[in-house]
Amino acid sequence: MTQSTNENHTGLSGLLNKICLSPLGLLGIVFLFFLPLVPPFNQDYMIRWLISGAIVAAAAISFDFSAGYLGIVNFGYAAFLGLGGYTSAILSNTLGISPFITIFFGALMAATLGVLTGIVSLRLRGMFAICFTWFIGIALMGLCMKWDWLTRGPLGLQCTPFFESNSSLPNYYLILAIMLLTYLALGLMIKSNYGLAFRAIGQNMEAAMTSGVHPTKYRVINFTLSCFFAGLIGGFYAHYYGILTPELMHTQKTVEVLVIAYIGGRLSLWGGIVAAFPFIFAMELLRSSLSDLPGINLIIYGVFLIAIMVYYPGGVAFFFKNLTSRKIRRKEMQQASIAQ
Amino acid sequence: MNNSRSIKAVEWLKSSGGITVTCTILVALAVSIHKGPYVLVNTLVTGGMWALMAIGVSLLFGVMNISNFAHGEYFMIGSLTAYYIMHPLKEYLLETPNSFLAFITPVLGIAGATLAGVIAGILTDKLIFAQLRKRNREGWLLNCFLITIGLSIILINLHMLIFGNTFKGVVNYWDVPSLALGDVYVSVDRVVVFFIAMLAILFFWYLMMYTTLGKKIRAVAQDENGARMVGIPVNRVYSTTFALACGFAALAGGSLLFMFPSYPTVGIAPLYNSWFIIILVGFGNVAGAVPGGFMIALFQVVTRTYMGEGWENVIPMFLISAILIFKPYGIFETKVRSVWEQ
Repeated sequence: MTQSTNENHTGLSGLLNKICLSPLGLLGIVFLFFLPLVPPFNQDYMIRWLISGAIVAAAAISFDFSAGYLGIVNFGYAAFLGLGGYTSAILSNTLGISPFITIFFGALMAATLGVLTGIVSLRLRGMFAICFTWFIGIALMGLCMKWDWLTRGPLGLQCTPFFESNSSLPNYYLILAIMLLTYLALGLMIKSNYGLAFRAIGQNMEAAMTSGVHPTKYRVINFTLSCFFAGLIGGFYAHYYGILTPELMHTQKTVEVLVIAYIGGRLSLWGGIVAAFPFIFAMELLRSSLSDLPGINLIIYGVFLIAIMVYYPGGVAFFFKNLTSRKIRRKEMQQASIAQ
Repeated sequence: MNNSRSIKAVEWLKSSGGITVTCTILVALAVSIHKGPYVLVNTLVTGGMWALMAIGVSLLFGVMNISNFAHGEYFMIGSLTAYYIMHPLKEYLLETPNSFLAFITPVLGIAGATLAGVIAGILTDKLIFAQLRKRNREGWLLNCFLITIGLSIILINLHMLIFGNTFKGVVNYWDVPSLALGDVYVSVDRVVVFFIAMLAILFFWYLMMYTTLGKKIRAVAQDENGARMVGIPVNRVYSTTFALACGFAALAGGSLLFMFPSYPTVGIAPLYNSWFIIILVGFGNVAGAVPGGFMIALFQVVTRTYMGEGWENVIPMFLISAILIFKPYGIFETKVRSVWEQ
């Protein structure tokens, strides 16, 4: 969709390229837009599956933004989701504000924690950073469990829904919009000079510093943005499901997002979207058809993760990139033979 | 001679490691006076086992550069095996009392658990990590991290699928009266478990320092290519390392069955603890894991005693985060960090 680097397209595809899309990508979005209107996808449970797919897709995009480009795996990602969700839910419950406004407060809250984490973990790299974010996540989940005067702990916090109607369709379009917003905002960031700096820091921090890229600034910016969108998605999660428990902050949730992000491929924001919808769909189908075997879908998750890491570490995005580059190479070879 | 040694001791006491160890001992004494010596007993019993777990994680990282987030699942395998050995035997013993069998049952259970851990470790290495070594050494650290996460999900859910989501535990190992130390009663199980941990640590130390296998493992840890050049079978050493680390984790699981009944996610708390310890004492510091284990155990016991159940995951977490920020090489200032930052 976006990551081809040497393009001077004209017309529509050039215009689309400026906002991080390609004709194929636009087609995909239109497809996703009309999918819940077409049978058999127009049944309510199917739309619910699509929504959970879109939630994971959006989360995978913002996860990959720091994990893929900067090389900092935010292993406490689910805690940022949860923080956004809880902030939004508590605000809308106590002040009676519409959830459409409070999810942005939730996102700001998560972003604030993201700034703090980014600044504090500046000296840490690699495994250190992973452990640090992980511990932050565990601590936040523990706090949520224990502060039951605020979060009602494991009993679950009621959240006001976005829409009065019983249909899930408006929710689907809302999360689709959030997903697109996440993708476009982060994609534009990656396309700009900031993206170049992120990549440079991710590949070799010393070399980046020597070339005058200040890692502090870029790491904090990256982390903040990633956490902002995590909070936004968490807010949607809270008001969509209507109930929030500390389970949302569990490492298991991070792992779900992480698996999708890596199956989609690192260093490609759109890989997460491509991987999430079919994968979540297959998982839900499997879970509903094999309900007497609990946890079988998670086993398949694990097997997929291991297989991808061992046999094809680039993921779906790498597969597509390989495909297009092979096509270009073949074309060049043909032209060369004609010239001879 | 004597003078220079005492100067060194004073200097060590002034270092961050010395200060922490001294503070830990003081806190342990204060708490045992305030709340009774059971705090100390609990600390000693669990601390030794957490140290064993941490040694395994540290070893895997030091030798193979694998950051194992599935280590708790080997603990789970150990406790599960021990349960399925001990439980039927105990049922049988209820009908036909047999003093020798009653004595040998826990031994069999713990030995079986260790064996299961060793086998699981070898299988993991052969089936997954050997494949990855053959194919791709690029981004090894992150790939391995993700693989162990996948492994952890698989093992937890396999447990749930096959053995169900119930607590599988035994009440005690030996039906003998508690030992009386003054006016304190300590069950025999706890004493034995403490000694098992100490023996295992001693065994590990002896293995690493004085045997050919230990030399080989250390050689591979230092330089894989160099080791291969002098004729060390690197792949076999890797499998052995994995077996050793997982065997220790399973030993801990089997020994602590009476405190931690086996259920699918039983391994999560031990996993947290072993990572706490590793961060506390510094990455790759195997010797430091022993005092680290006791420190973390004490800290959790104290938090649980004074603040209640559930806080023991919150407060230590903030402390460890602070240590990670201000002393990233751990309180003993180990300088093995290059690989961790890839």
